[in-house]
Amino acid sequence: MGEKAFLFDSSRCTACRGCQVACKCWNNLPSPIEKNANRLHGSYQSPMDLNGDTRLLISFNEAEGGPKGVKWAFGRRSCQHCSDAPCATVCPSSALRVDEATGLVGVNEDACIGCRRCSTACPYDVPRYHGPQGKINKCTGCLDRVENGMLPACVTTCQPKALMFGDRDEMIAIAKERVEMLRAKGYEDATVYGEEEMGGLHVIQVLKHGVAMHGQVEEPEMPASAALAQIMKPVVGVASGATVLGLAGMFALAAGYKRDKLVYNEKTGDTLDAETGAVVKHGDGQDELSVKEHLMGR
Amino acid sequence: MELSRRSFFKAAGAAFAASMACELTSPSQALAVEPSGSWKLVDTQESTNICCYCSGGCGSLCSVRDGELINLEGDPDNPINEGGLCPKGAAMFQLRNIVDPETRDVIKNPNRKTRPMVRRPRSSEWEEISWEDAVKEIARKVKDTRDAGFEETNADGLTVNRCPAIASYGGSQQNCEEEYLILKAMRSLGVLDIDNQTRVCHSSTVAGLAPTFGRGSMTGHWCDYQNADVILTIGSNNVENHPISSLWVQRALDRGATWIVVDPRYTRSAEMADIYCPIRSGTDIAFFGGLYKYIIDNDLWQHEYVLNYTNASYLLDPAYGFDPQTGLFSGWNAEAGAYDSDTWHYQIEEESQWDTSEGGAYAWAASDGVPTFTPPVVQTPKRDMTLSDPLCVFQQFKKHYERYDLDTVCEICGMDKDLLEKVYSIYASTGAPGKSGTILYALGQTQHSYGSQNCRAMSILQLLLGNAGMAGGGVNAMRGEPNVQGATDMAMTAPDFPGYLKWPTETKHPTLRAWLESETYASGYYANKPKFFISSLKEWFGDAATLENDFGYDWLPKTTVAANHSTIATWENINNGVVKGYFNWGMNPCHSAPNAAHVRRAMAKLDWLVSVDWVETESATFWKAPDMDPSQIDTTVYYLPAALIYEKPGIIANSGRWLQYRYKAVEPWDMAKPDYEIVDLLWREIVRLYEEEGGANPDPILNTKWDYRIDGKMDPRAVAMAFNGYRSEGADLSAGKADLLSGYGELAADGSTSCAIWIYSGCWNNNDAPLEPSAQPVGSRVAEAPGGLGLNAQWSYAWPNNRRILYNRASCDMEGKPWNPDKRLVEWNGSSWDKVDVPDFVTEKDGVPVPPDDNAFFMTWEQGARLLSYGMNDGPLPEHYEPFESPVDNPLNGAGSSPCVMFAQNDSVKRGSKDDYPIIASTYSVTEHWQSGSQSRGCPVLVEAMPEQFIEMSRELAEEKGIANGDYVRVFNNRGSVRLQALVTPRFKPFESGGKTVHQVGMTHHFSWAGDYGTGDTVNDLTPNVGDPNSFIPEYKAFLVDIEKA
Repeated sequence: MGEKAFLFDSSRCTACRGCQVACKCWNNLPSPIEKNANRLHGSYQSPMDLNGDTRLLISFNEAEGGPKGVKWAFGRRSCQHCSDAPCATVCPSSALRVDEATGLVGVNEDACIGCRRCSTACPYDVPRYHGPQGKINKCTGCLDRVENGMLPACVTTCQPKALMFGDRDEMIAIAKERVEMLRAKGYEDATVYGEEEMGGLHVIQVLKHGVAMHGQVEEPEMPASAALAQIMKPVVGVASGATVLGLAGMFALAAGYKRDKLVYNEKTGDTLDAETGAVVKHGDGQDELSVKEHLMGR
Repeated sequence: MELSRRSFFKAAGAAFAASMACELTSPSQALAVEPSGSWKLVDTQESTNICCYCSGGCGSLCSVRDGELINLEGDPDNPINEGGLCPKGAAMFQLRNIVDPETRDVIKNPNRKTRPMVRRPRSSEWEEISWEDAVKEIARKVKDTRDAGFEETNADGLTVNRCPAIASYGGSQQNCEEEYLILKAMRSLGVLDIDNQTRVCHSSTVAGLAPTFGRGSMTGHWCDYQNADVILTIGSNNVENHPISSLWVQRALDRGATWIVVDPRYTRSAEMADIYCPIRSGTDIAFFGGLYKYIIDNDLWQHEYVLNYTNASYLLDPAYGFDPQTGLFSGWNAEAGAYDSDTWHYQIEEESQWDTSEGGAYAWAASDGVPTFTPPVVQTPKRDMTLSDPLCVFQQFKKHYERYDLDTVCEICGMDKDLLEKVYSIYASTGAPGKSGTILYALGQTQHSYGSQNCRAMSILQLLLGNAGMAGGGVNAMRGEPNVQGATDMAMTAPDFPGYLKWPTETKHPTLRAWLESETYASGYYANKPKFFISSLKEWFGDAATLENDFGYDWLPKTTVAANHSTIATWENINNGVVKGYFNWGMNPCHSAPNAAHVRRAMAKLDWLVSVDWVETESATFWKAPDMDPSQIDTTVYYLPAALIYEKPGIIANSGRWLQYRYKAVEPWDMAKPDYEIVDLLWREIVRLYEEEGGANPDPILNTKWDYRIDGKMDPRAVAMAFNGYRSEGADLSAGKADLLSGYGELAADGSTSCAIWIYSGCWNNNDAPLEPSAQPVGSRVAEAPGGLGLNAQWSYAWPNNRRILYNRASCDMEGKPWNPDKRLVEWNGSSWDKVDVPDFVTEKDGVPVPPDDNAFFMTWEQGARLLSYGMNDGPLPEHYEPFESPVDNPLNGAGSSPCVMFAQNDSVKRGSKDDYPIIASTYSVTEHWQSGSQSRGCPVLVEAMPEQFIEMSRELAEEKGIANGDYVRVFNNRGSVRLQALVTPRFKPFESGGKTVHQVGMTHHFSWAGDYGTGDTVNDLTPNVGDPNSFIPEYKAFLVDIEKA
């Protein structure tokens, strides 16, 4: 299975929010049931933000302008499934991991220890903590469905086919063609989003009214902590949260390379095998191999 | 019916499935993440169903394990929705089960009420009651009420057999079989006040389309939108309220079509469209009239089509006329406040008689066993094929719309002239032969005091441009409720009989003979009405219906003036103490009715109310309304819990007339029962009472055939057989045995055939497996391959006769050649007709092909369509009138609002003036909720997505009133006051109309006091309870209010 991606075409989206609903129904995510627990906030958008029970929502933004005098921009707020996924990089328990086969950032809820590093690392502010469960909640890419030959729930339910799912190259090609058509129709700000951002997202978007109108981040950046973790590449596939938290300064790389337990010694800069104590990589630069090369072989 | 896992997967995703195929055959090594639990759909069984919200007819797939629903999502094989579901559809799982936010466990939805309950007089609480006791008590009340007020004869001694004290409302949420059973039970009791949701949503569609084309239904179907060159959305927010339309409109756009949205407000549809044109609410006829003038002035009309397939060339009565000074057509009777339509008829060239002799074309009418009646006289109107005679319809039409110039239209509609011209020019381009433009509309057209004329106006436009009958053309009346099409077909409406025949009236139809003589058309397909009607009587009364007793005709109640028994009038009848018992079948008038507070107060005068529903609606709990005092209310209220759509089987008709089958996925939970069982329980108990005790004329009840129980259980399949029709001799539906007819062509007028509803004949005609739905035409599931016209001829069954595009003869020229070979539906090949769609005209007689003629609309007696129609109560041509409440004077004629508005004189209406209430208001829906919200507000995920009502207003108005976005405001008029959140938006702009700036606001109307998750004020407390004179539909879309910061 090659690299996959979602395609969100805002110029086909009617903001019906079938996706928002289908996501909850498939994943058995609750909505409040106390009477009048929710309120509107001067917009159709509801809830106003992602939360521990909401992995996907459609945003609404309006302004004067555009070929018809008014622009009503519908945006899709959910996990972007970054190639350089900071959430997966900082996750100490491998609960969040980039799926090798598809490139989607999957979630292993059982492994989540609720440390919430992913929440602070994500440039899109996507992973949300669910208090009662003590777990992080975010789009799983419906890897369960994908594995069973079905499309993700949000894609299946989308009536105008504003959401698609398929080979990433193909999704990018469709998006580019669409943007060209939109520009020809007078939507000057129309653009493709997700091709390069964060190393390439696995949610490609056609943004009819430009990046900001659709609530997307102009130039997303890898947060410093995650960037450091990525440079260091010490890898840990830990068994429990307690272990992790007990090892100060340790970062995790959750890309599913190798599951040896490694620890990082802040003072020396060495990376050690936690079980044998052997130095896997010297912090003083004695050799030129990267951590990954140490782990995986050249 | 079960789908194999393979077909479920096969359908799971077009492009993606192909790339997955090889990987599925080997164990996946793809995932670094182990699934946290077992696969959700492990060991589930799938069954298909149809959505319970709009009339799209989207397919759904229910996954069931161990008898419980595990998942519900779109049916990927259904060609209408291809697996997609809107938020309401996607949330249908929650109608039954929800996720507990505390535990994240799946639990029964506590908002659903699944026990029978009764509210005793003056009580403020429900009590539980057993089914047995509830049925006994209700049947007793029905009998007492019926017996006390029954009229066996009228003042003239005519047998009328009517029961004015009981009313029945609703039915469009039920399956077709249930609709028929409810109708049959109610009418056999003698009920006159019978109506359903169509009265308040699309009754004016039927009243506008039928007098123009011959039938009152949507001319095409959802998948046909893709074939349009131009799409005009006017009076609809189609992507929001008929979400599946978004798929088919997008397909058209992908093929190069242009999409225009005309709406008072920049809607979600407007955002999707190519062109948006604002219009002041209620001025559509001015818009269309201007377009007619533009088309004629610029010679853009489709000449060959208009000349031959419409009545353009027919000469009118010399006394015909219209006076712009008064705004009145000829024939106005000021005393009666109504028109006499005599002067709107044609001049007649010649008259002839039916040939009923042996071997004659109408021999059947005089054959043995057919009731005696005098056949109608065939009239041939005078025509002027040069269209130059000043009395011809075309010239009168042209003259009528001379006044509708661009400046006047802009002045009325509040439009920009350049934009209007652009819209006119693009839409009129579809007048070129071979081009097709389609109109998508819904309640924005229908819910006006001239709603039927709005619908006619669109139909006329499609005739001028040659768009009716074309693939990608037609008038797409996007119906509301999921089975409102079925309820309308089934005549759960005061004036009608199943299959668009007329319910007997005491004035026009005192006898069967009178019915046959006044209703049978002299020519066209409705010459066959006696066959349809008598076959229906035969199915209604079975063996008891004989030639000697007029097939039981007199057992049917004879009604009076239909308007006096339709929805708005029923509440007056309740208020006045005439109606004492009321059935609500999945209907919630205390919320959805105009002037809803008036309805609540009227309800409190009932002796008894029976509410059959899934949840406690505002109607079931009217005595709990914030403004009601239960201790003062004597009404006994029964709540009977109904099964959900996937807890029972049955047939449902979508807006495109497709009859699809719903399979039962799970048992109804707790004590809920299918509506067909509920009606059966009540009916059999009523029959038992009359058998044992007698009472007011028991004959209509005791002679009603009720043989729909198979193996001792009520069975909708027996009713489906009745829909299809069968040979009367030896039929036993309760044994699942009948000789099913192939279609309505086999119906006879002598009682030898029985058929509940002629237009459905052919839907269930497989004699090899009469009890197997999947073996019947309605159960057919072969979707069309991509790339075609999307007719999907082998998917379900489209009435009539599986036709997908009505009036498809008009897709060809006079030689029978398609105007556009790429949109070929039928074609004369020189010796016979090639049929891509089922032809909607006579293609052969006695086995001999009939060459092309001009009979393109054979459901009218002229066999042509009508630019001008005498069949309307408020004028033969659509004329612009202002809404009943309007801040603007009418510059086109001296009448202001329509002189024919119904019910305006009722005290409860409390008409508001523009001085007190200067702001135009409209009500509308959002995609996340459904009508009165009883269903959608019962789904937490939908309440979360759209948690409350709002009023949208322009920034200009908000500034005038000191209102900020998100503020709560009070909206009020003479009828009521409601509080809602303001959305201040650039999507609404003030209109320059009538020489001044006028403001319009819009409100959603889905919330009220009932329900566990989301409540609000009742917006329909503000809407006026006046009606259109043809259909009696209320005017929800334009009325007056004022607002202030709350």
